[in-house]
This record gives sequence, structure tokens and C-alpha cells, in this order.
Amino acid sequence: MVVGGCDVGSTTGKAVILDGTSILSHFIIPSTTKPETTARLAMDEAVKGAGLSSLDDLAYVVGTGYGRLKVPFANENVSEITCHARGAHWMNPAVRTVVDIGGQDCKVISLDAKGKVVEFAMNDRCAAGTGRFFEAMARVLNCGLDGISSLENQGANPATISSQCSVFAESEVITLINEGIDVTNIIAGINGAVANRLFAMVRRVGLTQELVLTGGCSKNDGLAKALEKRLGIAVTTLPQDPQLTGAVGAALIASEKKSSN
Amino acid sequence: METNIKSKAFEELAGAAAGLMNPAIEAWKAAGRKVVGYFCSHVPVEVMTAAGVLPFRMRGTGSTGTELADASFSSINCSFPKHTFNQALRGEFDFLDGLICISSCDHVRRIYDNWKQQLSTPYLTVMSLPKKNGQAQVDWYYEEINILRAGLGEFLGVEITDDRLRGAIQQVNETRRLQRQMYELRKRDRPPISGAEALAVMVAGNSLPRERYNDLLRTLLADLENTPGRSGYRARLMIVGSELDDPEYLQVIEDQGGLVVTDSICFGTRTMWVDCSETEPDPVRALARYYIQERPACPRMNGAQPARAKFVQDMVKEFAVDGVVGERMLFCDFWCAEHYMNKADLKEAGIPFIQIDREYILSGKGQLQTRIQAFLETMGR
Repeated sequence: MVVGGCDVGSTTGKAVILDGTSILSHFIIPSTTKPETTARLAMDEAVKGAGLSSLDDLAYVVGTGYGRLKVPFANENVSEITCHARGAHWMNPAVRTVVDIGGQDCKVISLDAKGKVVEFAMNDRCAAGTGRFFEAMARVLNCGLDGISSLENQGANPATISSQCSVFAESEVITLINEGIDVTNIIAGINGAVANRLFAMVRRVGLTQELVLTGGCSKNDGLAKALEKRLGIAVTTLPQDPQLTGAVGAALIASEKKSSN
Repeated sequence: METNIKSKAFEELAGAAAGLMNPAIEAWKAAGRKVVGYFCSHVPVEVMTAAGVLPFRMRGTGSTGTELADASFSSINCSFPKHTFNQALRGEFDFLDGLICISSCDHVRRIYDNWKQQLSTPYLTVMSLPKKNGQAQVDWYYEEINILRAGLGEFLGVEITDDRLRGAIQQVNETRRLQRQMYELRKRDRPPISGAEALAVMVAGNSLPRERYNDLLRTLLADLENTPGRSGYRARLMIVGSELDDPEYLQVIEDQGGLVVTDSICFGTRTMWVDCSETEPDPVRALARYYIQERPACPRMNGAQPARAKFVQDMVKEFAVDGVVGERMLFCDFWCAEHYMNKADLKEAGIPFIQIDREYILSGKGQLQTRIQAFLETMGR
């Protein structure tokens, strides 16, 4: 049975097509100004990639993400909290803690052995600790997101960036640049600041291994390293693109829902 | 608000909750009668009712900003006093003949100073509310209530006698009884009234002449017998928290499938779950004991947390609640601590709980929807 999961985020739209336990295709596109357009574009590409003729070939579609209410071809929508937990747990049944760092929110999810959500904490009221913050910093440092992520660029003496707000943090970074602080130490400081925030959220929810990062910002190796340092444990890597976790979870739920119908 | 309840009584009640002024208050004032506003559910409304004035519980309904009030508060003040004071500066409370403030919390306490400085409401006073619930505090509040009675009486040119107070206690208890009757209906598997609708009815209770409100309630209760019960919801929720007077907030929660069947909020059960004594010979003593010790406690009272925790858990059982939503306004210290304890207590009891921060005026609907939806999914519903 072929099903689809569509995760419409603030920065990217993700679509996954699943057949039983195999991912047939997936696609990630930058979000447009209309969630329904983003959903459609992502899913159309995924459909093509799976060698299907149209959306109608999908037995069931679940939408998730902040734009989940605007996925016109979705049979139902499920919160991204549940979807990220399912997706991560399917990819690795040993996962018990998911740290999702998206374009404009970050969350920590604690799950049980069956992949069921036990507890979660969200920050979706400010840009601190999200992709938006990294984008702004990459602009200020003129180094691109790759520059912030690359392990080579993580200085040995991370600068302290104490502002809670990413707008004020930007001012702090400019001051550091003007003071001539080494850019690699600034980059390490930026990742350290976000890691601090995520670390605090993990403490709130409770840390149980294995812990994985999902969402677009999980591809930031510098962030992962900074978080590992604070947690004192290794972050487990997921076997598939972690940015697809929500869409994978949505597709798995689509499978279940269709089977039970 | 959208509703399945076909009832003229409900229409009038919902209308009173949706704004500040309403036709009943207009008629009341046109007849030469007075309206006295009050902050906080610890102010004894019975004194105002005994004096023959309409007690109006203050809220910032309809406010769209705090740009006028901001200069009178700090950036770390709660949004409830800011929005309410903003409405006052816009003239929305010019209909008040008096205002009773109280030291319920540090944020609301500051309204009195600002109001005194910037507005010209004819009668303005502030009550001192004890922090603990022992005999000494009951005795203290006994004096406070007598001070209020004397001051309000002098302003109105009315003697607020003990008999009038006894009569008022009975009248207000009648309101409480009718409100409890409405909540009884929510114990059903298919309640005829939603959380949002019930909150509108409760808020209206502090915004209408008491006799009229009691009559409307009686009519509503009859109308609810003919209202189809709500089904198809995912879970039965209880809302616990502070100054929540906006039915739309509960509507957002209920639109996700979580039917709010009961609460512990200060526009809800905390004002009416218990009656004030009608057998205590001294009515002021009855009021002092009621407001300090007997009514369901608010976290601003020290020493009553175990009783509050029990109140929540008893409600959960009585109303077959599946999950508790703890709401709290940003910058509120009392509820921050209370929900921390609620979370621990409810976890121990195996009752799902989620804490949600909010601003006084509904904002961040998407964020609220996501959390509630995730909460319902986490409950397996």
C-alpha cells in the first residue's frame, strides 16, 4: 500500500512516499508563501520520483507541520510532535529523545519504547534556537550556513553570546566582529548559544538515550558537537535524512490509518 | 460566538461576556443606579450587592494593545492589568461609579496607583488581602470588609446593614447554585454546553444586574434541556489557571477536539463551587471566613496548595476528565509555581497534564493549536 506524508514547514516543505516499509521517494523544497502550494509542489515531485502517475495513486496522505491545515490533498493532519517521534523511532527503534530544530521552532520530544510521545517541550514564540537565527548569523558573518556548520570552523575558544533574543544576539555578534574576535570562535559561540538553549529544553523534558537531532538544523555538525559536549553523550545519527523525519512519521501514520479504516 | 444553543437567554449572556458595556448596564444606569468595578474574585461582591450597586468584575475585553498603559507599567508586568488599564485610559470604563482594587498580586496591585493618578472615577479604594488562611487572617479580612462596607456606604449614602448583607449572601449563593447546576450538565457524556459557552455564561455573571442574571440562568438551564448534547470530541479536558475571561481561548482548544468539561479558574468554579454560610449569625464573619478559608483557594494564598491539588483531582474524578490543561499568563509567579506542583501531583496520579503560557489577549493561535493537538495525540485520543 502506497501512502504519503507531507510536512509543511516554515522554511521547507517535505514529502515522503512510503510503500509498506520502504521509502519509495522523497522531496524537499523551499517553502513558498502559500502552504498549499508548497505541499503540492513537494508532493508532485515525490510522486514523480516514485514513478507514480498522480497523487490519486496514494491510498492515504497525512499532513503535518505548521502548514498542516492547508494540505488540500491530506486525508487528515497530525501534529509534528507525534510525526517526528514516529519517524525517528521507525528509523531507529532505540531512539527515546528527539531534538527537532526547524526553521522557526525547536522542540524536544521524549518517547517510550513503542515510539509513543510521553512528554514534549516547544519553543515557537521566538527565533532563538531555530534556523532563522542561523540564517541571520550566516548573513552577518557572510559565511553561509555551510560555514556555520562545518566542523573545521568551530573555534577552540567559543565566544559567549548571552542574549536570549536572536535579534540582540546579532548585535552581540557584530560587536564581537568589531572587537576582532576570531570568526571561528564566533561561529563556535553561535552554535554554543543554540546548544545551551536546546540543552535547557532537554533537561526540562528529561534525557533518555538514544538522542537524535531532526529538522533542517540537525545538519549543522557544529551544533551537534556543541550539544554533545553539554549533554555528555553522543548524538545518534539517523540512517535517513533527518530533515525528512516529520514527513516519514506522517507517512507511517498514513499507513496505519489506512490499514485500520 | 458560534453555538448550537438556541436560546435568547444564552444570546444575552454571551453578548454581555463579549464586551464591557451592555444594554442591561445601560438601562441600570439610566434608572439612576450605580456600577462599581472590582478586581479579583476575593473582593466580596455581597457587599456591593447589599449596597444596591451592580458589581462589575474588571477585564480588558476588546483591548487590542497596551500602548497607552505601557508607560504606567514595566516591561515585566503581566498583560492582564496592562490591557485592562489601557481600556480604562481609552475611556471604556467611564461608566463606572466606583472601583475596588485589591492586593491580590503585585501586578494587579499597581492598577490602583495608576488609576488614582490618571483617572477620575468617583469612588476608588484598595483592599488589603491577607496572604495566609489562618484565623488571624480571617480576623484581618473581617476588618477589611467592614472598612469597605463603611466607605462604600458613605459614598453611596446608604447604610449597608447586616440584614442587607444577609440578603445579598443569599442572592449571590443563588447565583452560585444556578451556576453549579449548569456545570452538572457538563458531567454528562454528551454535555449540552461547551467550555467556551460555559465561560461566556460565567463571565456574564459578573457583568449583569444580579436578579436579571439569575433569571437568565434559570431560562438557560431550561433551554439546555432541549439542546442536543455534544459528541464526537476526542477527550474531556479540565482547564486550570488564572484570570481567563475569553471564551475564544477555550474555543481554540475545543476546535482541536478537546471538550472542556470543567475548570479551576477564577471566572469559573473557584467563585461558585462553595456557598457562603447563611447560618453564621454575623454576615461579615461569614464573608471573611468564606473568602479566606472556605472558597476554593487561589495560588496567591499560602498554605492551601494541598487543598487546591485535591480540588483539581476531585474535579477530574467528578467530571471524568481525561487531561488537564494548565494555563498561565506570562510573568505570573503564582501560577508558575502552582503548575510546577500541579504537574508533579498529576503525574503521580497518572493524569495527563500540559502547561501552556499565554498572553491576556488571545494570540499565537497556531502555537496553541499545535500544543493542544499534540497533547490529545499524546493521550492517545
